[in-house]
Amino acid sequence: MFWTLLFSLVLATFFYFAFGNLTDRLESFNPIGVAVVDNRAYRNDARLRQVLASLSQPGKGQLLELAEVSEEQAKSLLDTGDVAGVVKVNEKIELVVRQSGIEESILKAILDEYVFMSRTVMRVLANNPAAVREITDRKSYTEQISFSNANPDTMLGFFYALMAMACMYSSFWGLRNTIDVQADLSARGARRSVAPTHKLTVVLADALAALSVSFAEVLILLVYMAFVLRIDFGNQVGYIVLTCLAGCVAGVSFGSLVGTFVRGSGSVKTAVLIGLNMTMSFLAGLMWAPIKDLVSRKVPPLSYVNPAALISDAFYSLYIFGSHPRFFINIGLLFMLSALMCTASFMKLRRTRYASV
Amino acid sequence: MLVDVRNLVKRYGDLLALDHFDLQVVEGEIVGLLGPNGSGKTTAINCILSLLRFDKGTIEVFGQPMRPDAHDIKRKIGLVPQNVAVFDELRVEENVDYFCGLYVRDRKSRRRLVEEAIDFVGLNEFRRFFPRKLSGGLLRRLNIACGIAHKPRLLILDEPTVGVDPQSRNRILEGIRELNRQGTTVVYTSHYMEEVEQLCTRIVIMDKGKTLATGTKEELKAMIDGGESVSVEINFLSPDDLAQIRRLPHVTRAYYTDHRLSVRYDGGEHNLLHLLDFLKARDISFNRVFSEQPTLNDVFLEITGRQLRD
Repeated sequence: MFWTLLFSLVLATFFYFAFGNLTDRLESFNPIGVAVVDNRAYRNDARLRQVLASLSQPGKGQLLELAEVSEEQAKSLLDTGDVAGVVKVNEKIELVVRQSGIEESILKAILDEYVFMSRTVMRVLANNPAAVREITDRKSYTEQISFSNANPDTMLGFFYALMAMACMYSSFWGLRNTIDVQADLSARGARRSVAPTHKLTVVLADALAALSVSFAEVLILLVYMAFVLRIDFGNQVGYIVLTCLAGCVAGVSFGSLVGTFVRGSGSVKTAVLIGLNMTMSFLAGLMWAPIKDLVSRKVPPLSYVNPAALISDAFYSLYIFGSHPRFFINIGLLFMLSALMCTASFMKLRRTRYASV
Repeated sequence: MLVDVRNLVKRYGDLLALDHFDLQVVEGEIVGLLGPNGSGKTTAINCILSLLRFDKGTIEVFGQPMRPDAHDIKRKIGLVPQNVAVFDELRVEENVDYFCGLYVRDRKSRRRLVEEAIDFVGLNEFRRFFPRKLSGGLLRRLNIACGIAHKPRLLILDEPTVGVDPQSRNRILEGIRELNRQGTTVVYTSHYMEEVEQLCTRIVIMDKGKTLATGTKEELKAMIDGGESVSVEINFLSPDDLAQIRRLPHVTRAYYTDHRLSVRYDGGEHNLLHLLDFLKARDISFNRVFSEQPTLNDVFLEITGRQLRD
């Protein structure tokens, strides 16, 4: 119990440090230093001067930090690394850089856009002056809104995947329960099989205990992510908790099913369970996202019987959609699948005599 | 009859583990199932407890056919399996309480029974310990406590002293005797003949899934030709003296090699005394003297041609 919980917490922490602040980093931008050779051609190109001046206007949208200097000074600034590039205006606009990087690429993109737009505007002015307004008048037709009162963060998907994995860890508790109740797998199983307690009572009590422990672990993980790592789950926390509960129930049931029906020692059953968990997680897109879509299109029934897929889709539908029908369908399917697996396990376990103990 | 097993046959593939095995256990007995490893002792026990499917035969416990769901019968049975069957995550008293709880629902009664069981096996000082902190002997005692806490009428112990120190072993054997004195019928399986000889009122010797012989230890030993065996260290013994020794009463065999006289008797009493009197009368000096009574190993050897611990 300790190691599955610790591993989940450590992984959550690693996720946080690896890409928890990625969107913040994307939004914080330092203006790029650029030197412009202050020659006659540059002084005569009012449009370029205006564009560069507006891009280096101090404030939130500042893209460049401009230095209008002589050619020697510009070369010196480039050599010392104070600027990322030098712009030189002659018959055409030249950009001189010392290395290839993001800042240099941005400078090139700015100048390429300027040259393209200039030529386009000149051509349109020559043929249809009235159409110039349409080129410059840009509108945005999309707007980002959140259904969950939280800032939508694509990184949240990784944390949801982590919670789905933690839910599936509960399958090891289910497996342990079946080993502890079967006389051919453990001495504890033999002793409990000889006791005058109905198998259903023993199995149910074990399942409840396993569910309590695994659900507590997932809740600890959720609290850690929400309050320590400050992952913003918005106003969906109640639904997330319900998903975790359904996921743990499915995990315990699945582990019981494997432990009951897979023939072999405890080690063999554990190996099979790990393999199946990995396969289900892969098919659910928890390792490689495109697989989920592929399975949904090519083999749809598989998505409905794969507990890992149902858990991850429940989280996904919380994140993407505003209404909850799809979410509740996933939860309902999880509970139904769990009931089926539990019933199958119990029917096999009760009144069992073994060929070999 | 508490346990009545007739004509039991159990196969593991081509291996015949129980070959028309019979066992009857009367109330109040301590029955020992004695046999080498692989003789079928544990298989027989597991069939009796309805843990194993068997191919042929009948098993009745407390006068009723034994089944996996015969809870009324199981309520009266206690099991101490060969492998320690406790939860590593629970302390000593929690383990005993858990397993007692499978039999006894009433919390107050259970509390009393748990205390008695822990006291009985001498684990009072260790009640808050986890199993991984206990020695092998103490772990075996915990294993026993978990099987006896509910005061079963029939207690089945499957090799309960394997790997146990002598002090713990003696404690366990004394505890079983005490349980029997309190009214518990015991079925005890072991390949240690000394334990079975010491403890059991009736012994069933088995090998290759069959009952070879059954009876008290005196009855079993009486089955074989060999009686007491005496060895004496003598520096020199003449052939004439050896011939005289062979003519002593009840002597079946006598030989002298490597300064050691070995004499086998077929019964009689005070054989050692008579032999020593003979040696004194002939003025034959001797050093150490050894006397052995026949053992169950001798019985087993006589029947099968093999040692119990081959």
